[in-house]
Amino acid sequence: MDRECVSLLPRVCEVLAASGSSLPDDTSLEKLLDWFTEVTKAGTSLLESCPCLLEFISSVVRNTTLDPSILSFTLRLTGLVAVTEDAFTVLQQSSVLDLVFNLQHWQEAGLWEDPCIRIGWIQGLRTMMQHPKALGFFVQADFLKPLLQLQTDKSLFVASAANQMLAHVLLSCQSVSSVESNGVDEEGEDVGRSSGSIADLEYPAITVETNQDYAAVVTAISECLKKSLVPRKNSQLHQSLQILKLLALLLAQTRAPLWEKLLQMVADSVDELLAAGYSQLVLPLMDVILAAHSSCDANRRVTDQRVSRLLSFMLNIRKPADLIQAAAAFLRRGRHDLVHTAQSARVLLLPLDIITGLNLLTTTADEQQFSMVEQLKNKTSCISMICVCLTNTPQITLTAADCLPCPPVLIVTAVLSLLRLCSGDFSSSSSSSSSCRDVSRNIIGSSKVQKCALEALIALSGSPGVEVKLPEVVTLLVQYLDNPHSDPTVLHKSYQALVRWMSVCSDLSSITDQHRQDLLQVATKRSCDIRWEVRDSTVEFLGRLAGVSVVQTTAEEVSDASVALLGGCCFTTPLLRAALQDPESYVRASAISALAQTLAASWQQGAALTQEHTEIVNQLLEVLSRDTEGFARRAVVRYFIAWLSSRSSHSSPPPLASSSLLMPSVRSVLSRGSADLDWEVKVHTLELAELLLHEAFSGQRGYMKGNPTQTHPYAVIPDTLHTRTHNEEDVVGELNSLVQWGVVSVLLSGLVDCDRPVALRACRLLMTLREVVCPLSLGALDATAAMAMVAKVTCELPGCGWAREIRKMLATKAKDAERGCSVGEVVDCDDCGEAGQEAASVGGQTPCVSVCEVLRSLDLDERLDVLTRSSDHVHNSPFSLLQDILTASSAHSQPDTQQEVIVDCY
Amino acid sequence: MKLYCLSGHPTLPCNVLKFKSTTIMLDCGLDTTSVLNFLPLPLVHSPRLSKLPGWVSKDGTINLEKELKDCAGRVFVDSQPEFCLPERELLDLSTIDVILISNYHCMMALPYITEHTGFTGTVYATEPTLQIGRLLMEEVVNFMERVPKAQSATCWKNKEIQRMLPGPLKDAVDVWTWKRCYSMQEVNSALSKVQLVGYSQKVELFGAVQVSPLSSGYSLGSSNWIIQSHHEKVSYVSGSSLLTTHPQPMDQSSLKNSDVLILTGLTQMPTANPDGMLGEFCSNLAMTIRAGGNVLVPCYSSGVIYDLLECLYQFIESASLGTTPFYFISPVANSSLEFSQIFAEWLCHNKQTKVYLPEPPFPHAELIQTNKLKHYPSIHGDFSSEFRQPCVVFTGHPSLRFGDVVHFMELWGKSSLNTIIFTEPDFSYLDALAPYQPLAMKCVYCPIDTRLNFHQVSKLLKEVQPLHVVCPEQYTQPPLTQSHRSDLMLELQPPPMPYRRCSVLNLPFRRRYERVYILPELANSLVPSEIKPGVSVATVSAVVHSKDNKHTLQSVPKPPPVAPSKKRKRVMDEPPVVMTPKPLLSGAVPLEAFLATLQKHGITEVKVEETADGHILHLQAEDTLIQLEEDGTHIVCDNNEPLRTTLRDLVLRFLQKL
Repeated sequence: MDRECVSLLPRVCEVLAASGSSLPDDTSLEKLLDWFTEVTKAGTSLLESCPCLLEFISSVVRNTTLDPSILSFTLRLTGLVAVTEDAFTVLQQSSVLDLVFNLQHWQEAGLWEDPCIRIGWIQGLRTMMQHPKALGFFVQADFLKPLLQLQTDKSLFVASAANQMLAHVLLSCQSVSSVESNGVDEEGEDVGRSSGSIADLEYPAITVETNQDYAAVVTAISECLKKSLVPRKNSQLHQSLQILKLLALLLAQTRAPLWEKLLQMVADSVDELLAAGYSQLVLPLMDVILAAHSSCDANRRVTDQRVSRLLSFMLNIRKPADLIQAAAAFLRRGRHDLVHTAQSARVLLLPLDIITGLNLLTTTADEQQFSMVEQLKNKTSCISMICVCLTNTPQITLTAADCLPCPPVLIVTAVLSLLRLCSGDFSSSSSSSSSCRDVSRNIIGSSKVQKCALEALIALSGSPGVEVKLPEVVTLLVQYLDNPHSDPTVLHKSYQALVRWMSVCSDLSSITDQHRQDLLQVATKRSCDIRWEVRDSTVEFLGRLAGVSVVQTTAEEVSDASVALLGGCCFTTPLLRAALQDPESYVRASAISALAQTLAASWQQGAALTQEHTEIVNQLLEVLSRDTEGFARRAVVRYFIAWLSSRSSHSSPPPLASSSLLMPSVRSVLSRGSADLDWEVKVHTLELAELLLHEAFSGQRGYMKGNPTQTHPYAVIPDTLHTRTHNEEDVVGELNSLVQWGVVSVLLSGLVDCDRPVALRACRLLMTLREVVCPLSLGALDATAAMAMVAKVTCELPGCGWAREIRKMLATKAKDAERGCSVGEVVDCDDCGEAGQEAASVGGQTPCVSVCEVLRSLDLDERLDVLTRSSDHVHNSPFSLLQDILTASSAHSQPDTQQEVIVDCY
Repeated sequence: MKLYCLSGHPTLPCNVLKFKSTTIMLDCGLDTTSVLNFLPLPLVHSPRLSKLPGWVSKDGTINLEKELKDCAGRVFVDSQPEFCLPERELLDLSTIDVILISNYHCMMALPYITEHTGFTGTVYATEPTLQIGRLLMEEVVNFMERVPKAQSATCWKNKEIQRMLPGPLKDAVDVWTWKRCYSMQEVNSALSKVQLVGYSQKVELFGAVQVSPLSSGYSLGSSNWIIQSHHEKVSYVSGSSLLTTHPQPMDQSSLKNSDVLILTGLTQMPTANPDGMLGEFCSNLAMTIRAGGNVLVPCYSSGVIYDLLECLYQFIESASLGTTPFYFISPVANSSLEFSQIFAEWLCHNKQTKVYLPEPPFPHAELIQTNKLKHYPSIHGDFSSEFRQPCVVFTGHPSLRFGDVVHFMELWGKSSLNTIIFTEPDFSYLDALAPYQPLAMKCVYCPIDTRLNFHQVSKLLKEVQPLHVVCPEQYTQPPLTQSHRSDLMLELQPPPMPYRRCSVLNLPFRRRYERVYILPELANSLVPSEIKPGVSVATVSAVVHSKDNKHTLQSVPKPPPVAPSKKRKRVMDEPPVVMTPKPLLSGAVPLEAFLATLQKHGITEVKVEETADGHILHLQAEDTLIQLEEDGTHIVCDNNEPLRTTLRDLVLRFLQKL
């Protein structure tokens, strides 16, 4: 613990114990508690390092006139202090503990009514209960009864905390008992099941009497669960809900004897609850049963009969909506039970079977079918049930083939048929009965169902044997894209589905020319849509499609899906270029990244430069310098990053054609991007600079890609980094070109940027550069000797903006160092002090400095240290918090001093 | 109450309501789909259309070379296009008292009804309806008169011949009633009978009923009508919209508590949502222009075009169409664009507020100012010199049979770069395009119909809860092409009463009450007596005076003093004999007390028998029966008048007299 803080703490305690009303803000106590928790977690005993806390607790707890928030804080603090056995003993001996957790004490003071006292009491106990002594204290003080009462407290927070606490108590008792009985008959049972913190604690041997006490606690809790599980009237549903939550928690965590006992105790009540058929309780009940079900194996190695029976009951509920929910819950959680999985799958497929009339299920109980049809006739419940079914269809197809009532391809057919019904197309529907038609009309035009169905279609794309559906899927999706009434989100999902199916079914030989033509038509139309969201999705789609590689026709030629479906660049590029003029910045940004994706192939193949290419680059540079929105400008920089990296990833030397355009434009991107107002543009620009650095120095000694400070000092440097031998001439050449491209200026300007992420990144890159060109390890004189040529490489420092900042930094450094020693050697500029600067500016000449000198003089390491810390690190420290509390109290005690205390946000 | 249905077209209705001695015509829509059977009228000589082969039946027996032409595989009538009029034989049109017009599309048959039929009544319409209706009529007349056709084809209408013709001419109905377009003179005469009304203004018709228009939200000045007497209310809903476009929003609450609601003018495109169609319109337009083609929009000169222009106003920039010229060509283009700006009080709230800024309510003013939108009366004159391609042209008529649009079809039809976008829902686009086939031009159908759809109308009816709904039969079943779409029909409880052309419906509700006024002096003379708490009754003797469907009770005139005049020989009607009316009785005879009274009068042997409605008292000695029932007392007493009188008086003692 910080010594400064320890010294402040006694005064803070005094302040808090005196009055709570003068706190700087209502989160200070929480912050204080957080700090204490952190300290405790770090292994420091609170009581040892801050003995004043004991006095604080005992004085506060006796003063019931204090603010309840202070009292609640004290309750929780006591729990935290007593988390170690030693401290607990000290507290108990000083009889503080008895008083703090004495219910009567709080009730008599009339404070128990305040929920913050109740929750403080629970949380204090909960924190403390990490060792058997605490558990013993809990049992002896008979806190179980009030705790059970608190479980149905009118404050939700209190009730939930009580629930957690009860689970904690029960699990603690279990650990204690199992520790005692361990090694006798349940050897090895614990392996892999030590969940929760309590299991990690080591308990000393427990005497038999106490063990009986624990058994009594367990019995009392389970009795209570049993008793209050079934609601006597509707208003008690909330209570049942709480108990069910607790039960689910317990059944998932408890082990054999207790698990058995719990299940035995509540089984009848659960039965009764099931029979009562409360729709609100279906999901929590399912949670309980599934918790029991999934811990069955661990506990019994075979599925318990009772659990299995309960599960069967749930999967046969009469109310269709509840049934669907239960089946969906089962499918999400318990996959290893084949019988019930098959049953759940059938339940979830039933509505699809009814609506599409596709005979997904060979047989269904008439009664179930009838009630389902009746329920589906109601529009609201129809839509919600269908959506639940659709959301879970991918889960169904994931199940083992012998559990599936029908092959996945039939499910895809059903989803397609459903999508057609949604758009009012009944031509393919095979259901003829009027009741089915009544059901189908509920989903016409429902974009919610459409979205769910499209998502299901996306997820189903990977199922075995569904490739044959590709032409049908494409036809339907194109229809959806063409439909004037499709919602923008539906269109977006349709595009996603199309891309997904293209990428999964890489063989496009089944796609006809008609498909292509329709898609072409629809993409052109949608790129002119009146809604920007649609234009955005379309542009995005064009880009994504270019990234999907497919096999076209029988020739086995691999190309990208954009070429295969839309004829590639000659179609997409004009559309995307038109989108560069879009009034909506998101669309412009998407168009730029889509252009990058579309052109990536030609970059990689080193295709020759075209007129169009040049025009695009000019257009993009125009966007970078003119566009008013950051999104588009960021995308431009990313475009060049993609271009540059795809070029450098190419093994053969870049063809002149492409490079002749790329490098000059990168130069302008660097200069424009680093002068941008948007910090993200600047960060991207630095990324571009990093690529250039990497290209120049990869393989050079000292060059490490990425963040140098992140690598471990003893890490083994991969051999590849040493392949190229150090060659000073190479370094000089590369450094010169970096200076020419403006990389060094970008890095330097980034370093003094007011946005921290920019400065941080620039600083790291500069350090990387320094390691290559003039490592500090060589020492100043050695370096100059060894790299005399490198040292002569200079860069310009114009007299404005960032350069002025850099020069100031250099000048400060020069003043600090001995005069005439370090920075005096600036080439072409005798002195970087104020006088020299002005002279240079007046003279109109741009002064140049040695790159090496700058790198060595800038104190990059120190700067990195400052930049890595968050800007509020000073104000967020515990010390600052304690000071705040003190200041606030003094301001409070002298109200005439009109000084307002400004408190930091947490 | 009766409803005579003169038109079978659900969106161009023409019905006559007979209600309380008034005869009210509700709309007079003109079914113009008949013009699709005629050849287009080109503005400029068209070699293609002038060289079409005449039609001769296969066996050569019928030769109608002059009248019918074979064009693009279909037979068309080569004559001035004709319209299908509302039924004129079902009822004598001269007996119509008033015509209520709901919107400018539903008045196009007005000259056929008011002229040459002996019609002497009044037509009621709002001001925008009248003015824009006049423009539309003027436009049609202008389109027709610009290119007169010398001869009129009539032979093909012969029943025997028509039977032999190829479809769809063979199946055309009531061809004998089809008539050529009216003249401007007839239009002026018809419109001179229009009397203007404002929303919610109450117009008394002969004191019998009151009619009042309500905003229907469909077009400028469009209205639904309430026709009500003191005790009955009939609502006429025609062409209403709940969308927030330019007109004032629909007044729904005033439709509540109707006895009968006549529902017409629902959307013709129930599956096409106007928003989606508008989006489709814009994207297809932009797509064509970007590819260097022209866009042709056949449309009416008022209505949806305002919304289209407004939508394009916002879209132009985003689709980078800033430099593309938009042309609006119609003989009434200028008036239509300008009229729309001056009907401020008929516009939706947000457009109304612009007027106070002051700013033109519709943004097409700005389009005109910035020269993005230009309007011309016809393709002749200025237009030809300023015409620049690629461009967008809005022009009529949407049937593609007459108007400037014919010229553009001939001009642009051959290039696949150009696109025709149909936005008016009144005509089947395939039929409209039939005489222009084969066509290379792209064709896009995005009908924009803002009228109520079935979903909206069922919601509306649930809210206003009329006792009975009357509607065209088309609304009671799903559309023929989508027979499974049970959501595209009206499902009501009780089911709506369907009508078709020439139906006469007896509306299923009886008039049960009539309001009668009582003169103050007569009211003063009444002596009410309370028969039970809160209910007083008095008898009135008066003379009913009925005039202008208003009924008044007046005091009975005193018998005139015996006229001393001896000059008049004519026997005068005896003045009505004024008899004092017998008092009315009320109350019940209490059994116990009555028996006691009988005993007092010496009747002791009474056998009382209980019946379902009361009691029967058998006076055994007198052999007389007294039936005491809830609503009557009978004394059955043969040949003993004194006893009967005594008994009667005894009964009367227990009853209250008025």
